[in-house]
Amino acid sequence: MSRLEIYSPEGLRVDGRRWNELRRLDCSINTHANASDGSSYLEQGNNKIITLVNGPQEPKLRSQTNVNKATLSVAVNITRFSKVERSKSSHRNERRVLEMQTALVRTFEKNLLLHLYPRTQIDIQIHVLQQDGGLMGSLINGITLALIDAGIAMYDYISGVSIGLYDTTPLLDLNTVEESAMSSVTLGVMGKTEKLSLLLVEDKIPLDRMESVLAIGIAGAHRIRELMDKELRKHGERRFANISS
Amino acid sequence: MVLSITEKLYLHESLASKPPARPDGRNADQFRPIEIFTDFLPTSNGSSKIVASDGTECIVSIKCKVVDRAVEEELVVVDVDIAGHRDDSTLVQGIASILNRLLVSQMDQMSLRLTKKYSFKLFIDVLVLSSYSHPLTLISLAIYSALNSTQLPTLISSDDDLDVAELPTFHDYDMSKLNVKVPLLFTLAICGKNVIVDPAASESDVANNGVLVTWNDGKVVAPVRTLGLNEDYVRGICPQSLVDSIRMVEELAPKILKALDN
Amino acid sequence: MSTDVLSVRKRQEGLQFVNGLESDSDSDVEMSNDEKTESTREAQDGTIVTPGELVTDDPVWMRGHGTYFLENQTYASVAGTVSRVNRLLSVIPLRGRYAPETGDHVIGRIAEVGNRRWKVDIGAKQHAVLMLGSVNLPGGVLRRKSESDELQMRSFLKEGDLLNAEVQSLFQDGSASLHTRSLKYGKLRNGVFLQVPSPLVVRSKNHTHNLPGNVTIILGVNGFIWLRKTSEVDTANNTSTVMGKNAAALSGSKGDYKPGTNSVSITRLEEESSWEIYSDKNDHISDSMKKTITRYSNVIKALAHCEIGITEARVVAAYEASMAYSHAGSLIDKDNMEAIGQDVINAEKMRGNA
Repeated sequence: MSRLEIYSPEGLRVDGRRWNELRRLDCSINTHANASDGSSYLEQGNNKIITLVNGPQEPKLRSQTNVNKATLSVAVNITRFSKVERSKSSHRNERRVLEMQTALVRTFEKNLLLHLYPRTQIDIQIHVLQQDGGLMGSLINGITLALIDAGIAMYDYISGVSIGLYDTTPLLDLNTVEESAMSSVTLGVMGKTEKLSLLLVEDKIPLDRMESVLAIGIAGAHRIRELMDKELRKHGERRFANISS
Repeated sequence: MVLSITEKLYLHESLASKPPARPDGRNADQFRPIEIFTDFLPTSNGSSKIVASDGTECIVSIKCKVVDRAVEEELVVVDVDIAGHRDDSTLVQGIASILNRLLVSQMDQMSLRLTKKYSFKLFIDVLVLSSYSHPLTLISLAIYSALNSTQLPTLISSDDDLDVAELPTFHDYDMSKLNVKVPLLFTLAICGKNVIVDPAASESDVANNGVLVTWNDGKVVAPVRTLGLNEDYVRGICPQSLVDSIRMVEELAPKILKALDN
Repeated sequence: MSTDVLSVRKRQEGLQFVNGLESDSDSDVEMSNDEKTESTREAQDGTIVTPGELVTDDPVWMRGHGTYFLENQTYASVAGTVSRVNRLLSVIPLRGRYAPETGDHVIGRIAEVGNRRWKVDIGAKQHAVLMLGSVNLPGGVLRRKSESDELQMRSFLKEGDLLNAEVQSLFQDGSASLHTRSLKYGKLRNGVFLQVPSPLVVRSKNHTHNLPGNVTIILGVNGFIWLRKTSEVDTANNTSTVMGKNAAALSGSKGDYKPGTNSVSITRLEEESSWEIYSDKNDHISDSMKKTITRYSNVIKALAHCEIGITEARVVAAYEASMAYSHAGSLIDKDNMEAIGQDVINAEKMRGNA
């Protein structure tokens, strides 16, 4: 039985991609109009994510009311059937998930103009139907789209992507097999700039390789932003045409 | 759903009149339109998503595992997750318990059998994204659609493996369709002496009671029981309403199945 | 064909959302080096802009909603269309919650009973406030507030009650303060509530309309709608402008002007400010009236489904178009809703050309 080659001498990865190729990205917004103020459905490779945004709305708990700005909360529901092997237990109160939620809140808190919505609450609910690596990056993309759909003011897009380092070769947009075989980094990039809203490094990375990893990551994130923007404009033009008629 | 007193009075009076005047003009035995999607999760053996016209949405995933029948007790497990509700809330626990007991008792074990020693075990995961009325009927329709589009790996090793140490082996890519009779659960609301099917959120809020009727293999089966739909309007249920409910399901179920199977 | 008990739409192989997951490339995305050069021109009026996009670098504009600025550059903060009105540059988002304006006629639901005020859910970003001093109290319009009023607040309006009101003013953060200090506002009864997206209700002079069939509709600017049996007050304030062929036959008024018809007598004022205005009882409503209300409710939902702006004329037109379906319950079907929407649009086009 041949072993899967993470990176062949010809420069091909396990799924046939090259080192700098993103996985297939498909997105839709306003997918759950009845159930939310803003929603999106995102497929990045085999990641399938539904994001629902409710708000700005009256806070459910008086204690959560901030008189200066909106309160942002993120809830990630990783379903038990999201991986090939069904999970033994629910991921609801898992430490890893709670940390993801906190990181996402911190990332978007700086990007949204929360001071425009004092005394309100913005709730983001995410359902991960399927995951195959690079989950954090995909979550960021889904949230960006859903927040834009809800009409919540922000400074710019934040696009997320993961990059791995295989020996000395950076690999863009990792899947599960690759993620378990090497160190990886997740980036949240602001719009078309090179500014990072999120830098997530949980493995060992040699510092002298960091620059090449960031470079391809930022380029990949820009490409993702382009794809999301294209879909948004298409959707916007369609709606605009409907309303004017 | 929050309603004012005058709204509830108007609604209840309309629903209790003969014939019941539903707020959207439906007949007593008319369902609201639904949309069903299947086969969208490649990592699961079966999947379905159902969306109702009021925005209630439910996703079901079916995954299988090979288990030793001597060791494993139940061959079907249902897990229910309703967004916005705690896992230990009465609604979630109640629905999970009804579904588990129903599917374990009604599903034909033989359809999951692989060899003398092994069987498939099915894990049915239900995710309700948003729900504006009691979600049980919708969940049951989603489970029905998912199970009826489930593909299981095809066995190629021998059936007689009582003395064999290895696990069964399967074909590399051929799959076989799961062939099983799936029960359906119907929720009905009782308003005065009327029985109405697929109650909307506003109708559930003013119903005098709710009834759950199960259908499988061409007839009404257990469980048949009352369901609490609200707290303010509950009255006792008279036997005639139970009979009417059962009769309505007997009329309705074949038509529903026909609509689902096409 | 007999009425289907269940209409099912099936899709296989994929969660195809209405927008369509059209993947231009099934393959993985390549990193192209030839990205489109960014347009340095200003975004034109009416074009779509997305967050982070430069709208203009001209410092002469006043920046309105949906924008933010860094140095002299104005950027969009939402996805929407650019609007240049006088010297104000803003971006109108494609979607968003109802934003109250002073003078808006809205319908709201009591969410909380608080200290000398009610909190009212009007579907905006925050609940609106209805002060105790902004409502009509029983016993006469001019009665002074006393201590016992506060304690009896729930006997006037309690959680869940629906009312129509006018936006009196806005707070600093954009939330609304309501008042019901007119006989045309107050607690709602004798009807049903429905909700449509707020952009579909256009602001106009009058939001209460008497429709053919003795049904009155209140079109809240916030997208909350109330349909009720036409009351005496409604008939007195008759502002129906509908010309439908059924209108003359079904509506009560003959259209002749009688002096004093539209005014309200002093004795009426006393009556209306009695406990009656806070009563939780409905009048008797006949079965046929309920059927009419149901049909109106379904056609309004059909118009909303087709994203057609809701006006009195269109509601009547849709009602007439719906008479082709004798069973009102068949109007919940998507295809039928779309057919009615088409009929209304086509009728309007023809009238426009006539």
